[in-house]
Amino acid sequence: MKKRKNFLAIFLSLLPVFVILAVFRVYPIVTSLLKSFTNWDGLYRSDWVGLQNYVNFVKSGQFWMVLRNTLILLVNVPLQVFIGLVVALLLYEKVKGWQFYRAMVYTPQIISAVIIGFLFKIFFGFNGPFNLVLKAVGLGSMAIEWFGNSYTALGVIVFSVVWFSIGWQAIVILGGMSAIPSSVFEAAIIDGANYWQRAFKIVVPMLVRVIEFAVIASGVWTLTQLFPFLFAMTRGGPGYETSTLDYMIYLKSFGLGFGRDYGTATAIAVLLLVLVLALTLIEMQVANRADDWS
Amino acid sequence: MARRVKLKGILISALLAVLTLTFLYPMYFMLINSLKTRSEYFVNQFSLPPGQLQLTNFTTMISQFRILALFKNSFIVSSLTVVGLLIVGTFASFVFAKYRFRGRTAIYLAVIATMFIPSQVTIIPLYVLFSRIGLVNTYWSVVLSYLALFLPECILLMTANFRPIIDELLEAAEIDGCNYFQKVWNVVLPMGRAAIFLSIIFYFIMAWNDLFTPMIFLQSMEKRTVMVALAALMGRYTGAPTLQFAGLLLSAVPALVVYIIFQRHIIRGLSVGAIK
Repeated sequence: MKKRKNFLAIFLSLLPVFVILAVFRVYPIVTSLLKSFTNWDGLYRSDWVGLQNYVNFVKSGQFWMVLRNTLILLVNVPLQVFIGLVVALLLYEKVKGWQFYRAMVYTPQIISAVIIGFLFKIFFGFNGPFNLVLKAVGLGSMAIEWFGNSYTALGVIVFSVVWFSIGWQAIVILGGMSAIPSSVFEAAIIDGANYWQRAFKIVVPMLVRVIEFAVIASGVWTLTQLFPFLFAMTRGGPGYETSTLDYMIYLKSFGLGFGRDYGTATAIAVLLLVLVLALTLIEMQVANRADDWS
Repeated sequence: MARRVKLKGILISALLAVLTLTFLYPMYFMLINSLKTRSEYFVNQFSLPPGQLQLTNFTTMISQFRILALFKNSFIVSSLTVVGLLIVGTFASFVFAKYRFRGRTAIYLAVIATMFIPSQVTIIPLYVLFSRIGLVNTYWSVVLSYLALFLPECILLMTANFRPIIDELLEAAEIDGCNYFQKVWNVVLPMGRAAIFLSIIFYFIMAWNDLFTPMIFLQSMEKRTVMVALAALMGRYTGAPTLQFAGLLLSAVPALVVYIIFQRHIIRGLSVGAIK
């Protein structure tokens, strides 16, 4: 009797999760996968076209442009991890008021990426504050239209993403640091290790797992969460010059003036999904997180 | 030796102070310029407002762009998301944390695995589905998408926090005649309040700040969230930067206020379970 009651409680507690995930995650993914082999327009047209969407996308040159953009944007990962690590090391010393600094460093994460995107767009506008400062210090020749070509535009996006993410990195890495037993430090101090030796020979090596997680999480994040930054700053353009996979899905399906090519959009979505799952699997393999979870 | 330690402390404080300024300056810049007229802004972007403080940018945002109505939309979407997450998430996490049953680990991992699926992958079929059943341009389209998107991570967080709840406490409650719901209400909620509290704050802010999902599902003027409206507004008023600053600042305020009040909880939660 007790057992049956338990079963009912377990079943009814998990049922809503299953229903929600099945309807709003699994069903759409399966649909995306199937429709990526068709010329779907969201309505009635949905003819089987085989691998054509994939082949066309790779052949069109858009794929290589997206690849280039993604590789450039991924530069933000080592930058944010490194700066985040340095900030965490600074916070770790627990100087007076460190909790205040910790809260401040995290603030950008609380502001919507949309707001940050528009803010940086204004900051790096032709008549924006950044160019004014350049002119004031005699570097007027460097005061260019930053969003005028794709390389400097991508550079500004990388900069804004790093600025946005440092706080997250610092907090996560600091969390990892607090797991290091203080006896390790005391031993090091007795052995006469100075600050830098302590930081880079003791703390950093003990953080390998946390840093690994930080790198992969921000890598996946870069592949999937740049939409608001791109929408605010460049709209992925001109053309597809600053688009990423995730932005291109939007352009091909809901973007004004880009047509309604659900077939290609779902094909790109499948590519993105494969990429993200591969990265996640690598992460789980490396860190063996599955063990910690169960 | 003591002097060197002190010097190091000063150096670190100075570096942290500079960093803090880097993070605060953009907000300061928005604030001072939102209080200027357009011509004052173009004369000097870095000065404090030279004349009288100009509140017109803010009053325009409120009266003409009806930003308070947009706040209401965002608030409804975010609150419904949080309530849904708590109800569904608490029971599921309790079961994952405290009941032994066949396939528990496999089911748990399957639920968590969906956490990594980006919303762009599901957006097109969902849009088609929602337009067929008439949910486009309703709050539910966004709330249901968010529930599906946030639940796995929320369950991960809550399960980890419910696991340390002492079994004897649950048994004692049972002996006292508590049924399943009373156990959740009287034991799990109070003991797991840290995770529950963190989820409320964290996912409220996430939902408030998101652009992608509501931009696709809420296109009507009456239902748009503040971020969707902001994205549309900013493109249209590039010639009026002071108005833009007022809009950006106002939209950031609610999440910032929540953060200022609850920042200890957020940071503590982030340090233990790494959310991204």
